[in-house]
Amino acid sequence: MSGTPAYSLRRRLVWLLTSAVAAIWLLSAWVVYQRAHDEADALFDAQLTQVADTLLAIVAGGEIEDVVEELHEHRRSDSVPIAFEVWHRKHGQMQRLVTSARHGEFGSAVTPGFSEHPYQGGRWRFYAVQDADAEYQVVVGQAHASREGLAREIGLSLLIPALLALPLMALAVWWGVGRSLRPVNTLARQVGALDAQALTPLDESLALPNEIAPLRAALNALIRRITEAFENERRFTADAAHELRTPLAALKIQAQVAQRAQTTDSRQHALTQVIAGVDRMTHLVEQLLTLARVDPASQGSAPLPLDPAGIVASVCAELQPQAERHAQSLTVEAAEGCSIAVTATWLQIALRNLVDNALRYAGEGARIEVRLACSGPACTLSVADDGPGVAPDLRSQLSARFVRGEVESEGCGLGLSIVARIATLSHAEFELGDGLPRADGGHGLAATLRFSAAKLAKSPAG
Amino acid sequence: MRILLVEDDRMLGDGLQAGLTQAGYAVDWLRDGEAAVAALSTETFAAVVLDLGLPKRDGLSVLQWLRGRHDATPVLILTARDQLEDKVRGLDLGADDYVLKPFDLDEIAARLRALVRRAHGRPEPVLALGEIELNPAARTVARSGLPVELTPREFDLLHLLLENADRVLTRRTLEEQLYTWNDAVDSNALEVHIHHLRRKLGSELIRTVRGVGYIASATPPQP
Repeated sequence: MSGTPAYSLRRRLVWLLTSAVAAIWLLSAWVVYQRAHDEADALFDAQLTQVADTLLAIVAGGEIEDVVEELHEHRRSDSVPIAFEVWHRKHGQMQRLVTSARHGEFGSAVTPGFSEHPYQGGRWRFYAVQDADAEYQVVVGQAHASREGLAREIGLSLLIPALLALPLMALAVWWGVGRSLRPVNTLARQVGALDAQALTPLDESLALPNEIAPLRAALNALIRRITEAFENERRFTADAAHELRTPLAALKIQAQVAQRAQTTDSRQHALTQVIAGVDRMTHLVEQLLTLARVDPASQGSAPLPLDPAGIVASVCAELQPQAERHAQSLTVEAAEGCSIAVTATWLQIALRNLVDNALRYAGEGARIEVRLACSGPACTLSVADDGPGVAPDLRSQLSARFVRGEVESEGCGLGLSIVARIATLSHAEFELGDGLPRADGGHGLAATLRFSAAKLAKSPAG
Repeated sequence: MRILLVEDDRMLGDGLQAGLTQAGYAVDWLRDGEAAVAALSTETFAAVVLDLGLPKRDGLSVLQWLRGRHDATPVLILTARDQLEDKVRGLDLGADDYVLKPFDLDEIAARLRALVRRAHGRPEPVLALGEIELNPAARTVARSGLPVELTPREFDLLHLLLENADRVLTRRTLEEQLYTWNDAVDSNALEVHIHHLRRKLGSELIRTVRGVGYIASATPPQP
């Protein structure tokens, strides 16, 4: 189980989309409600003005006594949501003439024009108007609640169907997402059906949506890389078998020849070959073990910077007797004070292989120079000889496992692949180039390892 | 019986050359594919022992080249690869037999004998001509059922003549098949061996075809 809890993309999408849509609908309903409220205000205000003006016209026309009766009828009927009062100036005093008494008195605070006051336990909107002589004043009023009721009704009439539609939309999203994610399930089935022993890339001809196609492409790239690694290992096993079987065959044949030899000389020759064969197989087995040991997993933590001069000197000293046996001169020129981040044993193995190769292939009496130099950010370790060299087009193949040069030798063809592997793992460059000049004008071989210098932790003193 | 050994491994090549020589073959040993092609294009061998992993030119490529020029010389392949597809490919390209390393010297010798025998369309292992019988495996010769002592060279010469009974073999062919490049050939060594064979097996068996070579036949033509 991973740290993040598993979740369903489908459920998440349904949840996100539905809540987003619901929020948007609520917001728009609120906006509609506000707009409706404004409209209702304008509508009801116009109604108030109209009622007031009519009343005033009636009152000012002197027909008030006739109307009063009628108004009292009205007051009783209760059908008009509008309340009113009519005032008359008598002896300089405004007196209430008529009122829609069911509502009780408005009070005298009402000023001409629109105004809002608490009345009967709610908020009311009033409109007051006087005739030209200021003899009569008509006040009409209406509860705020009625206009809010209208606005609410309009708002809800929009919101309720939308809210009812929400579950339907969630269902549609659920179905749509499930359908759209079907290619993911198909891909999962294809990946699940892959045979770990014989990985084949997924069928690219099958149409996939743009969002999922990159996943398949990445998977296929991975499958190809893994297949290649498998193939490499398989080839390595086959090559290793070849490398072990040939010396075994040689051992067996030489032993049989020794067994049947008619002369002492030929028996001695065959037995010498048997012993050399055992040495050769020992070398091969050691090199195979070395290659197996040069493994990033065995390195442990990142290597600390070290000065390679000591290692170079000791490896060369170790191989000096081998050079002397073949009358070869092995010289070392190691600058001190370099610093590279490399695993010490790996550096030893790489250098030993390079020098050993030079000793094996450069021939009797050859010159071999080992040079360690630092310039700026780079540190170069090179092993150059004045042997027969290798044609430039063949050099790149030499680092492959079990590939030997054209020169006959008892080497097993693993040395340079070990060096190349160490170089890769140590982030160093490894290349083969022209070595020391020969008397005939040609060049021997030079193997160069280029490390980037490690950043030394500067001590405060300097 | 002269065979060509193509093997790049020095120790194995050396052992095979010595071992097959002990078994009575004249063995020429080459170490790369190009040299093998050069040798096969100019000379005749009774059989080729071919390693697959060769420098300069791969063993299978040499085989392909050989069959491409309709050369039916028997080829025995030596290989370290035991994958079935490798075997099938080798046989499909015209190899006659296949030996997996490491192998037994006796096995190689026996398989070579069988290859040569089959190349001559002869199912039985023993060669017979008139009253003479030659057993290549045991390297024995009998005349009327009685064993005859022959030197290795005499045996190889008789083997060649019997293998090609009733056909004229030129001096050059005989010398090519009997001697490797390393053997110092005396100019009249062949006559000496023929002389000894006639002495041991009767004068009628091998006749001289003047100016051409020699022929072995059971019934000498009436004069």
